[in-house]
Amino acid sequence: MALLEVKNLTVEFGSENNPFRAVDSVSFSVERGEVLGIVGESGSGKSVSSLALMGLIDYPGRVTADSLTFDGEDLLRMPARKRRNITGKDIAMIFQDPMSSLNPCYTVETQIMEALKVHEGGNKKQRRERTLDLLNQVGIPDPKSRMKAYPHQLSGGMSQRIVIAMAIACNPRLLVADEPTTALDVTIQAQIIDLLLKLQSDSDMALILITHDLALVSEAADRIQVMYAGQLFESGPADGLFAAPRHPYTQALLEALPERSEGHDRLRTIPGVVPGAHDRPTGCLLSPRCRYATDKCVSTQPLVEDYYGRDVRCFYPLDDNGQPTGRTV
Amino acid sequence: MSFLDTKPGVALMEGDTLARHYTVGGGFGKPTASVKALDGVSFSLEAKKTLAVVGESGCGKSTLGRQLTLIEKPSSGALKINGEAVGNLSEKDAKLFRRTVQMIFQNPYGSLNPRKKVGQILEEPVLLNMEKLSRKERQERVRETMSKVGLRSEFFNRYPHMFSGGQRQRIAIARALILEPKVIVADEPVSALDVSVQAQVLNLMMDLQDEMNVAYVFISHDLSVVRHIADDVMVMYLGRVAEKGPTEELFNRPLHPYTRALLASAPKIDPAHRVKSDPLTGELPSPINPPSGCAFHKRCPYATEHCAQVRPELRVIEGREVACHRVEEIF
Repeated sequence: MALLEVKNLTVEFGSENNPFRAVDSVSFSVERGEVLGIVGESGSGKSVSSLALMGLIDYPGRVTADSLTFDGEDLLRMPARKRRNITGKDIAMIFQDPMSSLNPCYTVETQIMEALKVHEGGNKKQRRERTLDLLNQVGIPDPKSRMKAYPHQLSGGMSQRIVIAMAIACNPRLLVADEPTTALDVTIQAQIIDLLLKLQSDSDMALILITHDLALVSEAADRIQVMYAGQLFESGPADGLFAAPRHPYTQALLEALPERSEGHDRLRTIPGVVPGAHDRPTGCLLSPRCRYATDKCVSTQPLVEDYYGRDVRCFYPLDDNGQPTGRTV
Repeated sequence: MSFLDTKPGVALMEGDTLARHYTVGGGFGKPTASVKALDGVSFSLEAKKTLAVVGESGCGKSTLGRQLTLIEKPSSGALKINGEAVGNLSEKDAKLFRRTVQMIFQNPYGSLNPRKKVGQILEEPVLLNMEKLSRKERQERVRETMSKVGLRSEFFNRYPHMFSGGQRQRIAIARALILEPKVIVADEPVSALDVSVQAQVLNLMMDLQDEMNVAYVFISHDLSVVRHIADDVMVMYLGRVAEKGPTEELFNRPLHPYTRALLASAPKIDPAHRVKSDPLTGELPSPINPPSGCAFHKRCPYATEHCAQVRPELRVIEGREVACHRVEEIF
């Protein structure tokens, strides 16, 4: 059984009569020790779905799901107190901006020890030792003196290491990392991703890596899930997903990368922008921007279907040559 | 003779050992310190070309951008346009300079006044710099520029908040272009944008370069974007140039260990393009208290005792400029 099983997760904002679906019936699962990469542009619902998973969506947001099972227990139907014991301990999260996810008023030591106190207990001495251990584990030089440091005294990379130390303090079985390296430089990004993957393989922890960086997921993830406007568009094993995309959106995203266009030619773009709350198209949400769209795409919404081992939400999934199948013009 | 006249054989824009030092500290009873944000950077930019400036945060690339547009005056060194130094211009000439060199900022949400309509935002530079134009001619010019950057003319009376990030960046580009400058300094113009929109803006910038013969100084941390758009690349580290040369050669065969590390750390989507090397350890040192010798020696896998003591100067190797003592030995 998968460690995390999400079925038809939906997050809505706005009024009951005219809701805006930030996340629309998204299903996925994460196995023990697996790295799942979730990619998408801004507004694709990747962050909102992870916040929903952590129970961090507040009123007026509404989270519904057929099931949200972690290790056999349904998170949505358990008492709030029990859920709080799981989130923060068994499921931990890292946010995008390390500077703003640390409390500026407390030292690093106090903040890490707080998480330990809530979930692990133990006396102050044990907690302090564990904190020192953790700082060593995340590669902070001279951890003894850094324990007394305040967040503003640390660089971005160091702060992110502290946040990671805090997240892994209670040996979580699932770590959700929401854009963990977006605010960091490339050389530091490489260090942080290496660190996350090392921690993940050492402790057989599952990792959900949420990012907009296609190259980053293709290097780090075992399985990749591409999201667009709150919906799952394509998911499958990382091997081959970007080499032979099945969904036109994945294909178009890849073509828009400067890396993929040799020389000084024009980049292939996706016309238009991700639809917002008030301009959702009918039918397939990509239809106004998709170069293969037909009348059927404009009128009917496609469902997620299995296509050669990939989950694809498209009427005309692409073949190995990148051409749509089953389309008659 | 004015700096506006092009002269054969003279680069459009030239920086000669530009430096910018800031004084920090000096609080109650504290000593002051000098931050060498920019420390002797030289470059030249030809008309219609793109020079990319890359490096990690804190390497001085944005400081360089501010010197090039004279938002700040360099502490030492000279900035030249068409061979004429523009460090001490009269007020009148400074105005002419600003028409010649314009800037695009990183965050299109912060760089546009939310209380002004798009038309007003674009009209303002014309109003200030082309006093002779009538109101009608000004608006005509605004609409013309809007269509050039792909903004529909009905946007004239809309406010910035009504636009998406990509469209706002188009407005910012239009504002920079409306005075027909020779050089545009673009400080991370696409880093706030999504991949698909980033491609639209990059295409636009390249099209406009062909159409209006403008030269770009393209400041970025994204190496794949730089490789796509730039003719020359300048890699900076802690206020100094580490390596400088033509884009393709530099990317195909980076000479400086820092350039190599930078290229290796960037994730690649195609496994075939991946460069395997050990990731850099450590972080950018503080510019208040820079390391002795080569600023990079503490993170460099090839550093020797000599590197820790003597600062390497730029040398020409294989048609490129590299600041490293050991280039020949390493490669």
